[in-house]
Amino acid sequence: MSRFTLLKKAREIGVVTERYPYKPTEVPEGFRGKPEIDPEKCIGCCACIAACPPNALTSLDENGYRIIRIFYGRCIFCGRCADVCPEGAIRMTEEFELTADDHEELIQEVRLKLVRCSVCGRYYDTERHYRMILKEFEEAGLKVDPEVLKRCPEHRMGMNAEVIGLRRVRK
Amino acid sequence: MIKKSIWIYHLNTGGCNGCDIEIIDVLTPFHDVERLGVRLVGSPRHADVILLTGPITRQSMEKAINAIMAAPDPKFIVAIGSCACGGGIWYDSYATVGGIEAFYKILRERGVKPPKVIYVPGCPPRPEAILHALAYFKGLASKKIKKRIFVEK
Repeated sequence: MSRFTLLKKAREIGVVTERYPYKPTEVPEGFRGKPEIDPEKCIGCCACIAACPPNALTSLDENGYRIIRIFYGRCIFCGRCADVCPEGAIRMTEEFELTADDHEELIQEVRLKLVRCSVCGRYYDTERHYRMILKEFEEAGLKVDPEVLKRCPEHRMGMNAEVIGLRRVRK
Repeated sequence: MIKKSIWIYHLNTGGCNGCDIEIIDVLTPFHDVERLGVRLVGSPRHADVILLTGPITRQSMEKAINAIMAAPDPKFIVAIGSCACGGGIWYDSYATVGGIEAFYKILRERGVKPPKVIYVPGCPPRPEAILHALAYFKGLASKKIKKRIFVEK
């Protein structure tokens, strides 16, 4: 065995070290980076909050707003929230450089307006979700009084098609 | 933050070893963190920066406090992984303290001034994410994340 086998081999292969902090790096296909909520698409249904294993996503109803909060410090980047989101508002980005000085920097918040129940007047659902339900009724060809549909789950009990004033619109 | 070469000490506080493997990845010739002057040392007494992984279990808490107090000032902590940053999936378990925030609260109660902490979330974080944090110490990289609040009009 020659004395220079190792040197020859090293010369053959060349430099393998990546130049990362100076040059950007690429991520593999299907890489799950930071999940991001698109605030324009989110309807505040909280499906992601039910799915999140470490409860990095939390919701809070406060002052007429529903606060959907994601804390990246606890997120395990599993992508369950992106899977269950009915509107496709959560997307797994390719960002992974999440270095932060303070845990406050790792928070993303979406605050959505709430609607009041037409009977008891308490906040119960987001305005976007309510409008989406109305739209679904319209698309199904059902005519319904918007004020009657605007009821909290308690006052919705005992409602039937007759109470809502539901009747099929003939096309 | 630190002008001279950073010497790091690797402190596992009950993690699953995922983050530890990524730290070792950073030291391999492919990522080669030594070109930034970073060196792994075997004792916290030699360290400038402590790389803390794991959710800080109750069993390991006392040892972690001893190791952190043994490091000379000025010292910094890099919390690596979701467990260290916010408790991960064990954030409400009885067996863990639940992340660095809760740990610092205990330190303050005992009258110990906790060192400054840099967060590196990820489960586990990519080796490049750890490199980014160490490059941030040297002033070679800038922060890319900030708090964002959207309010519906």
